[in-house]
Parts: sequence; C-alpha cells; structure tokens
Amino acid sequence: MRFEDELVELLPRLRRFARGLARHASDADDLCQAAIERALKSRDQWQDGTRLDSWMYRITRNLWIDERRAAARRGVHAPIDEAVTQVAGDGAAEVEAGALRGDVDGAMARLPDEQREVVMLVLIEGYAYREAADILEVPIGTVTSRLARGRETLMHYLGEAA
Amino acid sequence: MSLTPDMIAAFVDGELDDLTARRIEREAASDSALAAEIERHRALKARLAAHYAPVIEEPVPDRLRALLAGAAVVDTSMADRRAARRVRFAPLHWAALAASLVLGVSIGMQPWRPAAPIAADQHGVFAAGALAMTLDEQLAARQPSEGAVRVGLSFRDRAGRYCRSFESAVIDGIGCREGERWRLEAMRRGAVRGQFRQAGSGDMAEIASTMMVGDPLDANAERGARDAGWIVR
Repeated sequence: MRFEDELVELLPRLRRFARGLARHASDADDLCQAAIERALKSRDQWQDGTRLDSWMYRITRNLWIDERRAAARRGVHAPIDEAVTQVAGDGAAEVEAGALRGDVDGAMARLPDEQREVVMLVLIEGYAYREAADILEVPIGTVTSRLARGRETLMHYLGEAA
Repeated sequence: MSLTPDMIAAFVDGELDDLTARRIEREAASDSALAAEIERHRALKARLAAHYAPVIEEPVPDRLRALLAGAAVVDTSMADRRAARRVRFAPLHWAALAASLVLGVSIGMQPWRPAAPIAADQHGVFAAGALAMTLDEQLAARQPSEGAVRVGLSFRDRAGRYCRSFESAVIDGIGCREGERWRLEAMRRGAVRGQFRQAGSGDMAEIASTMMVGDPLDANAERGARDAGWIVR
C-alpha cells in the first residue's frame, strides 16, 4: 500500500490519540495536520517495512511536546491546563465536583504530560509497553512507572464511576 | 504468590506470559480482593476506551484528508490483506482498525478513491475493497454510525458456510465465506439513502431467511466466528 494510503487509514486512530493529548477537538486536529505535514516532508526518514503507525505516533507526540514547551516558555497556559488551573481559583469546587462525577476529560487533564501520553498509548491505543517505550523513546521501566502513577490518579478522580 | 500492583496492571494489560497470567487467573478465582483489584483496572480501561471511541467514528475533517488527497486506489489484493492481518494488534487495536477501515476506506467518503466493492474472476463474483474488509471485521452489533457498509444478518447456510447480508449506498447483497473471500450470492443496487434502514430489514433479510440453517448468529457467535477468521470448524 502507498504511503499516503496508509496514512489515510491511520487518521481516525491518530485523531483519537491527538484528542487525548490536546483534548480540544480543533487543537487535536491542528496537531494531526502538523503531524501529517511533517510526515510528508520527512517521509524519507521512514523506513519501509517498519511500522508506520509507531512512526506517526512519535511525530505527533513530539510535535505536541514541542508545542507544550513553547507555550510554557511564553508563559501561556495551553487550554489543556484550564481545568487544572481553575482548581486553585474560584471554580475549584465545580471542577472538583465535575471530576468526581467521573469526567474523563477532567481526570486526564490532571495528569502531567508524560503520564497522559503513556496512558493514551497503552490504555486507549492498546500498545504494548515495549511499543509505547519505542514511540516515546524512553526505557520500558519509565513507561511502567508513569503508567502506574497515571492510573492511580485516574482511578482516584474517576473513583467508583470508573 | 504475592502480587505487586505493577503485576496486576501488567496482567490487565496483557503483558505477562501465559503461565503467569493463568496463575493469576486461578488465584483471582479464590481471592476476592485480587479479583476486585483486577476488575477495578479493567473498569478503568473500559471507561477510557468508551470515552475516546467516538473519535474513531467521526468523519475525518476534509482539511486532513485533503493533505493526503494524492492517495490512490486501495490495493485490495489478498496478499496485502493477509500481510496486514499478520501484524500483531491488541484487542483495542482491532476495534480501532475495523472502524478505521470502514471510515478511512469507505465508499463515498473519499470520492477520489474508486474503491470498487466487488471483483469478478473466473470463479465468480466476490466482495472487494472496503466491502470485503467490512464483511471480514465489522460486527452487526457494533457498527459505526457513519459506516458506509452496514452488516445485517450473519448466519450459516446449507453448505455450512458463514454468510452475511449487507447494505450500502452502492450495493446490497449477501456474501458467503469461501476460503478468504466472500462470494456474493445475492446482489442488487443499493437502495440506502441517508439514514440506513434498520439492519436486517428488507429483501436481503428475506433472501437470507431462505438460505439460512437454524437462527442467525447472535452477537457472541458472530464475534466468535469473526475472531476465528470465519473459518468453519
């Protein structure tokens, strides 16, 4: 199958991954768009016979991390932080209540980036620990420890509703 | 055996070897605290999967598809599909893949891509492209709302084959499994416009009822047959 065709088939899954990272649908699609553009530009770097999905997830994730870091440097709170920053403000009670009702988005927003990406890859996208470690370019032990912390937080906030 | 939380998580994630996994299963049968902990992990996974699943079923925005508009005809050769099948996927992946095949390759959603739903050779007429993939993978009980092909009934015919009725905008019909292909035993122009009729309604259901031995497969039997690759045991 051709490169573009394989990418087309990956799009629904890639959008889901991006949605979990960036949360808002339009931000997630911006991220997908940037990832596709990057992939088309650097298609030479993809080795035929290796998994295109892992490669695309890595590109998407790296772009997301870059953007998060750039936003942090600018002192801008990306929209993804809203739920978290509000907790300290006036809306704290409502956000807390929302999370306790079992709001998955709210609970995911509480995860640090490095836990959220592992949770998305393993628990939602269904990658094996080894595959997730390859995508994130970290040791497998890092994947399992981040996953454990992420799980704990999610279970805490989603509580019985999970 | 004392189990660490990491091991329980690894068990739920399918990361343990078969022996260890079976040991944990046995232990959970008599240890209600362990069983509850496993259930808690499974519930979290199910909850997350359900939360994000609808994204897969959304139509991919035009601006994203447009970037890949150079995408050409889908190669539906059996060799390619067999190769694709060999790739190891976790269960969640299968659901995602089935949905993405239906959405990503579906007839009518990618006008630049002429994915013919049928192919004929000297042996007869068979399902091809997105239609074949849908018949391979899609469960009648769990169809994406935007899917271009809708599976109606799955059943066994007098020859013992698995057969599935389907409806789409282009073609309605019944495909029966022969080897790795779906021989089309009944076909007619698709009558579906906009909202799909209820699955199993209409002429195809009638034809199916004349072909069928016993009752149509229920959701579990259908899943079992699909997971076994529609091979008759």
